[in-house]
Amino acid sequence: MRQEWSARLLRIHISESDRYRGKPLYEAIVARCREMKIAGATVLRGLEGYGETAEIHKTHLMHHDQPIVISIVDTAGNLARLVPVVEEMMDTGLMAVSDVTAVRVQKKAPAADAKSD
Amino acid sequence: MLTKGPAKKVTIFINEESRHHLAALDDSIMTFLMHKGVYGATATRAYSGFGSHQMLHSSRAEEVAPRVPIRIEFVETAEKVEEILPTLYEMVSDGLIEIQDTTVVKLARKSPQPEPKAPHRHTQEHATLLRVYLGEDDKWHGEPLFDAIVRKLRMMDVAGATVYRGILGYGAKGHEHKRSVLHPMRDMPIVIAVIDAPGKIAAAAEAIEDMLEDGLIVTSDVEMVRLVRGTAATEASDAPGMVR
Repeated sequence: MRQEWSARLLRIHISESDRYRGKPLYEAIVARCREMKIAGATVLRGLEGYGETAEIHKTHLMHHDQPIVISIVDTAGNLARLVPVVEEMMDTGLMAVSDVTAVRVQKKAPAADAKSD
Repeated sequence: MLTKGPAKKVTIFINEESRHHLAALDDSIMTFLMHKGVYGATATRAYSGFGSHQMLHSSRAEEVAPRVPIRIEFVETAEKVEEILPTLYEMVSDGLIEIQDTTVVKLARKSPQPEPKAPHRHTQEHATLLRVYLGEDDKWHGEPLFDAIVRKLRMMDVAGATVYRGILGYGAKGHEHKRSVLHPMRDMPIVIAVIDAPGKIAAAAEAIEDMLEDGLIVTSDVEMVRLVRGTAATEASDAPGMVR
């Protein structure tokens, strides 16, 4: 199966120490994405960075506070649905959207593909 | 100038005893090719062979000075071959010249001295950013897929690639990639990011698509701000600018 379409890429830049109702914020966002049937989400941890608060995010012996980027590829409609929800969840952070061309590759027959676009 | 990609391979079959003016023909041809700036040529003496005279030339024959066939091979661009072929045609009075289409895969050359230091350079150009989403456990002929993709990109002369390991994610395969106590590194998400000229990325995307079993390839237009530092002329640090 091969699908090619115009999609959007959303990147959410937050910090590893951000929390949402006691859980790490990035876990909460990914869980919310699943609930909202967003096609996929990948969480990447940066080594070092700084942002809005001009505070260097770096790993220390005792506490981890590294930058986190969640990247999500989906249709413009789905992302428009997601952005206000995430905005409400996060305290400080940045969201960036860009237009992309996506190619979905799936050569084996899906076993139980519950994905809905 | 010979570069990677389509080229011509010329093979000349002659006999050791053939002469051109007063010199041995193979010597004359090799000298001529070198004089013309051909990228490289190899002459090999055969063990045994026969040609249009239907006479077996063998180094085994009980001759004092065996006359064996000689094969000269070289690879050059079509234009260069076109340029030198008429002279070769004249020179080979007894033998065979053959041309075939070929593809240069690698053209490596050890430079005897390091390249001179280049000055600071700052250019801005349109480029394409390619991102591939896959799993860490994906395999390609038994080796990690992300490793295979990076090596393939390197072979294709793509400017650079970076592999990221995600800490959490879900997607195409429907299962969650998450670290647990029992499986600290079970199929974590992998993202490979590549930036190069749009044409190169299109070729790279095609190659990656062939290798990928299940995953997502995403491309977007970016402005590339390339900064070449003076300390290492060959190493460019690519900083992707604003993603449009």
